[in-house]
Amino acid sequence: MNTTQDEARNAIADRLPKQAPLGNPLDWAWLRGAPGEWGVHPKPSARGLTMQDISVGTYGEVPEHASRRSMAGRGSTIDGDVPDMGYILNKKSDMWAENVRELYEEAVARQWSATRDIPWSELPELPSDIEHAMCQVMTTLTEIEMIAADLPAKWMWRMNHDYLEAKMFLCTQIMDEARHTEVFRKRALANGGGLLYSRSSGEGLLRTILEAKTYTQATALLHLLGEGFILDIFRMGELISPSHVEKKIFRMAMQDEARHVAYGTMHLRYAVEHDPDVAAEIHEALDHGEVVLTEFGTNADFGSALAYLLGGGEEQIETKGFPLQMEMQRHQFTSYLARCERAGISRIDRTKLPLDLLGIDTSTIRAGSRSAAAA
Amino acid sequence: MTTAVPTRLGVADLTFYQRLAHLMNSHPEWYRVLGDADMVAVFTVTGSGPATDQAGADDHAATAGVANFQLVFEAMACEAVDQVSNAEAALADFRLVGPATAWSAMFDDIVANGQASGEWTINSLALRGDRIRCLGDDPMGVDKFSRFNQTLQQFLDGAGRLEPPELEPPELAARGATPSDTTRSTS
Repeated sequence: MNTTQDEARNAIADRLPKQAPLGNPLDWAWLRGAPGEWGVHPKPSARGLTMQDISVGTYGEVPEHASRRSMAGRGSTIDGDVPDMGYILNKKSDMWAENVRELYEEAVARQWSATRDIPWSELPELPSDIEHAMCQVMTTLTEIEMIAADLPAKWMWRMNHDYLEAKMFLCTQIMDEARHTEVFRKRALANGGGLLYSRSSGEGLLRTILEAKTYTQATALLHLLGEGFILDIFRMGELISPSHVEKKIFRMAMQDEARHVAYGTMHLRYAVEHDPDVAAEIHEALDHGEVVLTEFGTNADFGSALAYLLGGGEEQIETKGFPLQMEMQRHQFTSYLARCERAGISRIDRTKLPLDLLGIDTSTIRAGSRSAAAA
Repeated sequence: MTTAVPTRLGVADLTFYQRLAHLMNSHPEWYRVLGDADMVAVFTVTGSGPATDQAGADDHAATAGVANFQLVFEAMACEAVDQVSNAEAALADFRLVGPATAWSAMFDDIVANGQASGEWTINSLALRGDRIRCLGDDPMGVDKFSRFNQTLQQFLDGAGRLEPPELEPPELAARGATPSDTTRSTS
């Protein structure tokens, strides 16, 4: 603190009127300064002033337990009588992830436009059967993408504002999912097709996620299981896309989805490390979630449309479509199990997924996990 | 003339990747729409034969005929390009491992089409995994391959813009300019 400057500001505050022209009292306490940290001077990095850059001094300290339940910014001087916002997630381990600031910046830097960045005018006319298959895939994706917006929205207003970086990241996820819904809906309509069937198995999965009892359970179901599964479908876009337009759609959506999975994996890891009891509730959620996801994955519409596109049409659906689909499913569940290991909630010995039938090599997953831990 | 550029440079040649990095760093505007990317990638070029995880998974074995090129991406730049040992390669976020023939075919496709086409995108290759595989012990690192995939693709597509060193204007070569100071004319 600079005493001379403090004295000068106090003198100004003393001279200023105590009442506004309409008679209401004026408070110049801000001019006198507050007990909080002042003059921290965060240094911008090469890419600008990031959330990591401003996490300096006490501003960078995120409490394990929030002391209040207000919307006041972390680091501000807070009245003792601020109203209680009714937050129920008041522990850092309830929603934090060590990479959440980095992911927020990444999300902001890598936004794209479904209107501008997809070459819609270059969509080629497709054979009617292929267009129908693509439109069925788009119908399902349009339906399921918004769950990853609705779910964080359901919980965000219950998260203590001391963990604003996590809430900010979830805001970017909501924007991402709005864009995904937009881009898939646009593709369903853009080429002379339209929306096709919605089935109860898809809705059952969404309801399971939405009705999770805790946010951490919801994250396990949404980010780790659901979005991990969808991430691999987006990667599969390379093989199911009839044109470069659909490929571009899937590639752009894939990048966003991988970010969401990265948050979920690291949130669960943080949660388990700081509250080992939470592992049991995560397992409980995934026990049920894996069953529901498998029902969704073998959905007669979505699954058959994917296989049709993988095969390039009717002729090769059995020789190419279904085998490729099996290969992709093996990849999906291998990735899922590896992420569970990384999150500290090993599912290999607990899952009811038919690992042998899927051809999943659990020894490789375990070995990778050990190597990653050693590194 | 154009289709032979990468092959002539050699996919097992550090200079080739340095030129790609220089091209990226000279044109941040190509990457602005994709945004910042932070990752450490290793391209492992093995001898001829099918894709194998030997060079990547067998971290501590010095595998004959294997070259690991480590690329460090930060924001919209490739900050470092180095040839590294297998042990160092294992510390990358992810490793893309394939035989020289697969890497050459991928870059030849890029040069021929100006960018990767069809099944020659890095995502497509890694997804199938029969020519080039994406490996890593940490799924968080491996997932960066998906998170920053289009930045990586744009970087690789730079091969379609490189000028063969032997076609450089003599005055550039004479004053020792970096080969990648020039990009292919679009005329």
